Amino acid sequence: MSGGHHHDHGGGHHGHEPALHGHHHEPGFIGKYLFSVDHKVIGVQYTVTALVFLLVGFSMMLIMRWQLARPGEAVPLVGSLLSQLGITHAQTKALTNEGYNMLGAMHGTIMVFLGVVPLAVGGFGNYVMPLQIGAKDMAFPKLNMMSYWVYLSGGIVMMASFWANGGAAQSGWTSYPPLANTALSGQTWWLVGMVLLITSSLLGSVNFIVTIMHLRAKGLSMWRLPFFVWAQFVTAFLLLLAFPPLEAAGVMQLMDRVAGTSFFMPEGLIVSDKPTAWTGGGSPLLWQHLFWFLAHPEVYVLILPAMGIVGEIIANNTRKPLWGYTTLVYSIIFLGFMSFIVWAHHMYMTGMGTALSTFFQATTMIISVPSVIILTCFIISLYGARIRYNTPMLFALAFLPMFAIGGLTGLPLGLAASDIHLHDTYYVIGHFHYVVAPGTIIALFAGIYYWFPKVTGRRMSEFLGKLHFWPTLIGMNMVFGPMFFVGIVGVQRRLWTQTDYQLGQMTQYWVVFSSVGAAVLGLGQLPFIWNFFSSIFAGRKAEQNAWEATTLEWAAAPSPPPHGNFLADPVVVCGPYEYSVPGSPKDYCPQCQTSEA
Amino acid sequence: MSLLAQTQPMYWLPPDYSTHGWQIDQLINWMHVFMAVLFVGWGAFFTQCLVKYRYRRNPTALYEPIKAKASKVVEAAVVVIEVVLLVAFAIPVLAEYKNDPPKPEDNPFEVHVVAQQFAWNIHYPGPDGKFGKRNPKLVSDANSNPLGLDRDGDPDAKDDIVGNNEMHLPVGRPIIVKLTSKDVIHSFSVPMLRVKQDTVPGMEIPVWFTVKEGTSSDAIRETMIRTVAVPAAGANPRDFVLWCTNNIAVEDIKGSDGTVIVGKGREPSAEHLEALQKAGIGEIRVAPRHPVEIHCTQLCGITHYKMRGFVILMPPDEFETWYAEQAAGGDEFIEE
Ligand code: HEM
Ligand SMILES: [Cu+2]
Ligand SMILES: [Cu+2]
Repeated sequence: MSGGHHHDHGGGHHGHEPALHGHHHEPGFIGKYLFSVDHKVIGVQYTVTALVFLLVGFSMMLIMRWQLARPGEAVPLVGSLLSQLGITHAQTKALTNEGYNMLGAMHGTIMVFLGVVPLAVGGFGNYVMPLQIGAKDMAFPKLNMMSYWVYLSGGIVMMASFWANGGAAQSGWTSYPPLANTALSGQTWWLVGMVLLITSSLLGSVNFIVTIMHLRAKGLSMWRLPFFVWAQFVTAFLLLLAFPPLEAAGVMQLMDRVAGTSFFMPEGLIVSDKPTAWTGGGSPLLWQHLFWFLAHPEVYVLILPAMGIVGEIIANNTRKPLWGYTTLVYSIIFLGFMSFIVWAHHMYMTGMGTALSTFFQATTMIISVPSVIILTCFIISLYGARIRYNTPMLFALAFLPMFAIGGLTGLPLGLAASDIHLHDTYYVIGHFHYVVAPGTIIALFAGIYYWFPKVTGRRMSEFLGKLHFWPTLIGMNMVFGPMFFVGIVGVQRRLWTQTDYQLGQMTQYWVVFSSVGAAVLGLGQLPFIWNFFSSIFAGRKAEQNAWEATTLEWAAAPSPPPHGNFLADPVVVCGPYEYSVPGSPKDYCPQCQTSEA
Repeated sequence: MSLLAQTQPMYWLPPDYSTHGWQIDQLINWMHVFMAVLFVGWGAFFTQCLVKYRYRRNPTALYEPIKAKASKVVEAAVVVIEVVLLVAFAIPVLAEYKNDPPKPEDNPFEVHVVAQQFAWNIHYPGPDGKFGKRNPKLVSDANSNPLGLDRDGDPDAKDDIVGNNEMHLPVGRPIIVKLTSKDVIHSFSVPMLRVKQDTVPGMEIPVWFTVKEGTSSDAIRETMIRTVAVPAAGANPRDFVLWCTNNIAVEDIKGSDGTVIVGKGREPSAEHLEALQKAGIGEIRVAPRHPVEIHCTQLCGITHYKMRGFVILMPPDEFETWYAEQAAGGDEFIEE
């Protein structure tokens, strides 16, 4: 990467330049790669850390899937190692009940808060968004750096909790009291970790909002923003508005655990045949309200950036404008608003009255409409296209039917009557995984293949990319597809084994099938890991505009972009997806005119 | 997959023995039809585009946005169908399930359930029809008083019947179950009766339902008979043990000399294997001991996965006999 000297300082067409650009010296190794304030370095740090966490979360699930398919049998390879943490049994080396609950709770937490969100927002958002809006950096580069380090500390606290007395948290990623309040010390670590992670997201979200509002290149009006930037913008608002209640709730639960308060504890609890010390008077359901007030918007935090990525890649590889760009933008804004008033659809079984549940059923049906519109826009975008089937496009296309399955299966869960049968069964696990795994994760892979040449200046191998794509798509469907059928039969989730139950026995064949799928999925990641690392050093060199794209990160910034991003300030002259403009010599017209490749 | 052969696979909704469940099933089924139609519709258009608009086949992409009336139609249809599902099905079904408690003249039978880690305490009022007060201060599993009843001081509690994990119910009569928990949140779920309700400590939440007349656990068991293969000597007994768990032999399983290896109604287990193999028995027929199970659907701690209860459905007269016996046979029974 080149140094930080060449960018000019006259530019700030929106008033303030980021503080970063005040100093001129070349940062040393530590300043450049470790405690960097450059959004690109931070983006890469986020990406790499989040990918590692995704692998960790996935590995936990492989262990659990072993247990589900082969209940009570020694965990292969790591069985002995894990017995030191109480995750596996000292003698049999099989997963213990506690171990299963630990891995389950940590899988959920890691995947959501340490994997997908940091990758989608901290990684892609940080790296790509400033480039796409023609900014030299984020508005508050130091805040940005702090956000990463707070995130990493949160991650370390979470992982360290495996060594806590009694092991890591075991109360699910939802941590419902009173169970979570009465749990061992791992839960306290979980709460501290969560407070750090939430703080990190809050720092990030403020930065994203200010950056998008104030640091756009000349000529880049809001209605010329790439769809990805819009998605990040709405996401940032969701994070900013949804996380504070959970942060408060987290602190309250922490107080219940360590300071003897009773926010979530009712009177007269008797645990393990002994009265508990809490005075009572609190409400366990209060936690659920606070938690889901965050956690429903959170699912849109998981999905919106993915939609943004898919939008970019579809426009680029259909070689035509995204169909219904304005509709798409309004849809995600509407989704954002609505996501704040559907939370209690997670709580139909808590004894809620019919008036309240009618309200939440109605809002839930309403929120499905923009999702249908978004999907429809993407699919219509394919009409009349000139589709290039490269690896990013394959992943982006696969996102569409996968997200459709995830979204549609939310409907029966959104109606309280059908939810009576389906609530807290494997159907739920199938539903949200189709949204976040074959959905979001697939879109994130698409994004990695798409922006890799920008970040490294080299391309990933197409052959290995396809070798990654097919087993991933097939493996994911093998893992998650059967869950709908297990769930519809009525088998509940979060079980160490379902084979004690009649309905569980009658669906165990699916469980085995699903575990085989997890192995396929795992093996399918090897080409990716190899491709990722080998391409950094030995990939084919990429041009500045490797995909012949219109948006600024490709049109105006070198690959990789230098400190300060652009050689000259880009000036935007048109909308984001001017592909195949009739009469134009090339099939794409970049958004800006300066610094053409 | 050997497992497929040995169990009786189930593919969709489990059988339903409640009078209200068909409405839930109908809603679930219609929703899946609707979802399938949408998905296939989208999918057809999608695949057509993927094939037709390949890079090589289509020399130039379309710049002008097409006027896609179809998308408006699809979106309008989705809205209409969702409104219909919501207004015509979901809301009324839920209202009936939640807002229509059985009236006293329908002679409902009331039973209380107190969940705890990791068991269901079933509390019947006894012959006087009155529930004794549950006093948290008296609760003691160690002294066999899991509910904290005051047997001596409280006249209502004297004849109360307390069960553990086995909930006997008469069919054809409205049932009211009042649910609470001693410790953490559990969820009382009986898939084959289409009932689910969280049990929240500090709250008492009722559910009600009626079991279809003419059914009984004994009759249901007959419909769930399965064959389980006996593994060869030296082979892994894993599957055999799994598929026999909580199942009972539907007939006496006898060796060639006529000795009974597993008696009718007993659970076959690993210890019977040798004898079964010696007798050259290739497979045995079993059925669930109690086919209608109570699941706890809320993560409630370490052995959440074992928090299984049973609903034992009885014809009304049989139930009355059973109930009278329980009341006469001492103040309490703890099974299992
Ligand atoms: C890609 C591979 C993945 C596999 C094989 C997998 C598998 C599973 C399974 C089987 C469960 C249910 C465990 C149980 O109920 O006992 C589960 C739970 C869960 N998963 Fe995943 N998952 C994957 C990816 C993800 C991703 C990407 C996310 C989120 C972004 C995620 C979030 C969750 C959450 C929140 C839970 C619930 C945890 C809880 O019960 O507290 N998973 N996963
Ligand atoms: Cu939700
Ligand atoms: Cu429970």
